Amino acid sequence: MQFDVIEPGVLPDLIYPPYKSTVKRGPSQAPLRVRDEAAATTNLFASPKLILPHDIDLTVHGESAPLGEKIVVTGQVRDEAGQPVRNSLLEVWQCNAAGRYRHRKDQHDAPLDPNFNGFGKMLTDDEGRYRFVTIKPGPYPWGNHHKAWRPAHIHFSMFGNVYAQRLVTQMYFPGDPLFEYDPIFQSVQDAAARQRLISRFSLEQTVDDKMLGYEFDIVLRGHDATPTGI
Amino acid sequence: MRHKITTAQTIGPFPHEAWKWATELSAKVDHNAPHIVIHGRIFDGDGVAINDGWIETWMPDSAALESAHEIPGYRRIPSDQDGGFRLQISMAQPAASGKPVAYVTVFARGLTKHQFSAVFLEDDHALADSQLLAQVPAARRNTLIAHRQADGSYCWDIHLQGDNETVFFDYT
Repeated sequence: MQFDVIEPGVLPDLIYPPYKSTVKRGPSQAPLRVRDEAAATTNLFASPKLILPHDIDLTVHGESAPLGEKIVVTGQVRDEAGQPVRNSLLEVWQCNAAGRYRHRKDQHDAPLDPNFNGFGKMLTDDEGRYRFVTIKPGPYPWGNHHKAWRPAHIHFSMFGNVYAQRLVTQMYFPGDPLFEYDPIFQSVQDAAARQRLISRFSLEQTVDDKMLGYEFDIVLRGHDATPTGI
Repeated sequence: MRHKITTAQTIGPFPHEAWKWATELSAKVDHNAPHIVIHGRIFDGDGVAINDGWIETWMPDSAALESAHEIPGYRRIPSDQDGGFRLQISMAQPAASGKPVAYVTVFARGLTKHQFSAVFLEDDHALADSQLLAQVPAARRNTLIAHRQADGSYCWDIHLQGDNETVFFDYT
């Protein structure tokens, strides 16, 4: 594959002072453009046997259903040429409906749900599609500044089809009033790039009286080095 | 027509439970098989150890030696309380390839986008012919070199920022 230069502002600022911990953790030098065949053409192999049944339904870990609003999230993963990213490992993780992560360092005064762990994994199918069932995550405070509350989000980790396509990002929900106050969301300067992180409600994906559906399509960097079409 | 990419967002402080499965799977390595060990620490721009960061490695040349592994050629390692990590790499013989022994991806809270780096061994006799190193300004190449220790292991620190800032890549 080959990887074009990304337009300024599409990737988040590595040092974005409103997000305080970027100030000393963000690299100050621009990444170095290099060509490397292995990075651009090879990748790990994730076997389908790594995926367990509960990995794609985050609501069935426990003895009964978790609290909160059950939803389904689905979408297609493609590259910049529009080609589906097939059979590719994808991980998701999130807090519960009350805004609490199952994590020893999460101090938010909100309850854990014994029936919700908040993480899963899957492989994209032959069309690059994925689908998982979960609980809509809640907003939560994170202490970056006074009244710092994260908009509800689900973390996505994708391995792509070649190493250099690796992506970790966050999916948001439409109409969240916290977007304009969130330095993590706002660390992306390009407004259209921010909008692409917001899923859309889908009546088509909504399952009867069981759960609302959200669609989140993903475009990974890279396209085939061979030109396609005329 | 090019489709516009989905941008990155930080991994945040809370991936540990979700990422545990691959951390544990990839830690199951055969200590009797030929290997080298690289250890190091991850630092911020003030030299403070990053104790909630992660590295993932892709080692295409090791994958063939790890057919018994669940994910051959791959490791996922959280940094420890001192910012430290220990990476065991399957290698049949000392490197003389000019290639990185591992492609390393770095993740952390406060790192808005994961960063791509790579690590070479200082006693790789083919470093001078490395196609990847040749693309790195000479003054910064040392940030990608793991140095051999008295016990035979190698040491390679990652500096996200500062005078010794590690070279991070944007692949073309």
